[in-house]
Amino acid sequence: MWVESTRISKALFAMTWLWPACESLHFMGLCMLIGGAGLLDLRLLGLFRGLHIRHVKALMPWAIGGFAINAMTGGLFLLMQPHLYLSSAVWWWKFTFIAIAGLNAAFFETRLAIPALTMDPDGDTPVALKIVGGVSLFSWFAVLYCGRMLPYLGTGN
Amino acid sequence: MSVFRSLQDSAFTEWFLGSDSIWTYPTVLALHTVGMAILVGASFVVNLRVLQMAGDIPLQRLRPLYRFIWVGFAINLATGLVLFVTQAADRIADPVFFIKLGSIAAALWLGVLVKQRAIDPDHAPQVATRSTRSLAATSLAFWAAAIVSGRLMAYLHS
Repeated sequence: MWVESTRISKALFAMTWLWPACESLHFMGLCMLIGGAGLLDLRLLGLFRGLHIRHVKALMPWAIGGFAINAMTGGLFLLMQPHLYLSSAVWWWKFTFIAIAGLNAAFFETRLAIPALTMDPDGDTPVALKIVGGVSLFSWFAVLYCGRMLPYLGTGN
Repeated sequence: MSVFRSLQDSAFTEWFLGSDSIWTYPTVLALHTVGMAILVGASFVVNLRVLQMAGDIPLQRLRPLYRFIWVGFAINLATGLVLFVTQAADRIADPVFFIKLGSIAAALWLGVLVKQRAIDPDHAPQVATRSTRSLAATSLAFWAAAIVSGRLMAYLHS
């Protein structure tokens, strides 16, 4: 692919430690993301009853930070070895689930955040919140699964 | 022949690694990653809160998170054992493998100490003591070390 013939792509890929370092950071980022967003999703699903949503939202900057780390390291993987990803159906599925998770989060933030923050924390969560939490949790684990399966289902290595 | 060599050369290993099916090695590896996300993700939330870096969730409300920590650990112990069997002889001679196991043990042990000091007692202060915060920070550092050594193992695999 033409990207791989660019100087920056070659220069980055030539740093042998960079790829493993990005992988390690990518795994740490996913733990931050699934930890932070996971707690919110579980709360939306109705677990941790009695815990006010505002407490759970305090984890959001960390979840976003984890996502940012993974977007950056993911971007580096793409830049260094685009052919491993762009021609892989599994990678496009991963990207699709990231988009679903993101759109779902945006929907929550713009439409359901107020009801979530004002609902009675001791009651069960309404169905709309359960659906949003479920979609989010499923999507992020689908992203993780697609990513891990890339070398085996995709054309990647 | 050592027990580890016989495990690595066993018929099970041959089938497990030689199969074209995604339901053997790739699926076990994916489950190992799922377990890691649950285990380290939950530990991350607990330790961040103890470190006063994640709002003011009442500390006692973090107790259910330890259930997820143990579920994640159980998944990774089971998948880890399967993966180990297929590489037993190589791994038993690999220092990075022992660094990984040691880091996991340390991170878990420190997590239990944090639980006993700051989360289990009903009247524990909402701001954990300085020594408990040190334990939480060290636990996070060991989780990072476990992740890095786990990744390095893939590169030093003979």
